[in-house]
Amino acid sequence: MRKLFTVIGIIAILSLVRLSFVSADHPASESENELAKKEITIEEGTDNLSEAKKSNGALKGIKNFFSYTGFANATLGHIAMLIVGLFFIIIAIEYNYEPLLLIPIGTGIIIGNIPFVPGFQIGIYEDGSVLNYLYYGVVKGIYPPLIFLGIGAMTDFSSLISNPRLMLLGAAAQVGIFLTFLGALMLGFAPPEAGAIGIIGGADGPTAIFISSRLANGINILPDGTTVKNLIGPIAIAAYSYMALVPVIQPPIMRLLTSKNERKIRMKPPRAVSKTEKILFPIIGLLLTGFISPNALPLLGMLFFGNLLKESTRTNRLAETAKNSLIDIVTILLGITVGASTQADVFLTPDSLLIFALGALSFMIATAGGLIFARFMNLFLKGKNKLNPLIGAAGVSAVPDSARVVQHEGLKADSTNHLLMHAMAPNVSGVIGSAVAAGILLSFLL
Amino acid sequence: MMNLAEINWHYLLNDGLVITLVGYLIVFMALVLLAFVFNAVPKLLDFQKRRYLRKRGKEATLLASTEDLSGEGNAAIGTAIFMFFNEMHDEEDTIITIRKISKSYSPWSSKIYGITRGLNRRF
Repeated sequence: MRKLFTVIGIIAILSLVRLSFVSADHPASESENELAKKEITIEEGTDNLSEAKKSNGALKGIKNFFSYTGFANATLGHIAMLIVGLFFIIIAIEYNYEPLLLIPIGTGIIIGNIPFVPGFQIGIYEDGSVLNYLYYGVVKGIYPPLIFLGIGAMTDFSSLISNPRLMLLGAAAQVGIFLTFLGALMLGFAPPEAGAIGIIGGADGPTAIFISSRLANGINILPDGTTVKNLIGPIAIAAYSYMALVPVIQPPIMRLLTSKNERKIRMKPPRAVSKTEKILFPIIGLLLTGFISPNALPLLGMLFFGNLLKESTRTNRLAETAKNSLIDIVTILLGITVGASTQADVFLTPDSLLIFALGALSFMIATAGGLIFARFMNLFLKGKNKLNPLIGAAGVSAVPDSARVVQHEGLKADSTNHLLMHAMAPNVSGVIGSAVAAGILLSFLL
Repeated sequence: MMNLAEINWHYLLNDGLVITLVGYLIVFMALVLLAFVFNAVPKLLDFQKRRYLRKRGKEATLLASTEDLSGEGNAAIGTAIFMFFNEMHDEEDTIITIRKISKSYSPWSSKIYGITRGLNRRF
């Protein structure tokens, strides 16, 4: 057995040496690879190669091979991003923070940041590469409406229909978007870029991708003749990171802005909603919001269409596909491509850091906006109609994570007070609100 | 550090503020409008049902108001009806009922035809 391994080993080494000769004589790329250019000198008059030249060629072949590996091309930026990717995967698996998003994104970050020699249609930003084709769905804003279709098909709006006044909480939380827009302008971003950054406050990944693919896509020309920056990657990563970190970011703000007694408020159970109301909701919702903000039609249209598929009860097959297979496929493609778009040389810029800071701020402002508005509404409500202000925090979209956080915090204050159903109302109205806000920003800034 | 000179203060203080205020107001108004419409929808549906019943000469008291019906109450009523029709009960009646079942004779399981019969008799 040992002899067999030895023979196979020798054959393998010989074939490797042979391969390295071939690669030394015929380098894979002659124009693109700067490193390879430096290392390789094409031998002329190869008819009479001496043994010395052959051994020299083997060495050069190995060097050439090494120059193509990730080890030779790695930079500190790549290493940092690989660590970020691994961090995402670890928190998703270990702490169960949005694993459906963070595992694809984390893996995408690793795929996008394994160093390679450009020019072989490998990277996500290289024309013709497989990843580039998949990234087309992000750049052209194809994936977000499909995600919205699935969200619509899996969302039960009955808690919102039963208590429509809770829609105001979803509207109040959108303050984060507009204040962050102002903040981004103050930090020197161009208006379209600032609009795209502001939408992080909507805590809605697909909306953030949709609006950044329209406003901060690296293609549009600004009035001063300069090209707008491509901020799709940083914005998408910031939005999804903060969505995953909802259980970390929101509770301290919730505790800070509400008293213990307020957190104990029991809300009236939601009334039963008839089937007719459930069917009317997507139709009326689409007509109203669509007329107010036509630029958000790809998102709102798909959201309400998905909901109509569910509530009509006549298209169960389509609704099942939209809320299971379709949304899963799109989530995989979206996650992996958004992750891979964080290539260190494109992603690691001071702008990205600013976007992350603004995103965090935006998220906090949005949470605070919802909480404060819930307390404000309580000034006009009496008795059983009073709201538990915690549900205001669910006004940031992040469906259904922020509603879950509200339920969790409510149970901490009173272990028999279940707020989940109440929190779902501002939560889903936050989705509608952030999509409407996106449409408004598009109409102002495009 | 940010260079304050680079900031387009004119845009920020004019268009920026306008976009912020108008944009936020529009979002708010859109959702207020939606809330208003959906406040009215159940009332309209109730009104239509009452009119329909009145036309048929029936008393409209049956549908007093759907706003007072809670989802929890409906779930409890639904469960009670389901359990009633399926004759389920929460508490056991503690009466053991053993029904005697008489089986018809079949030679397939008869011991008199077993192959160990002869051996057993011998020992």
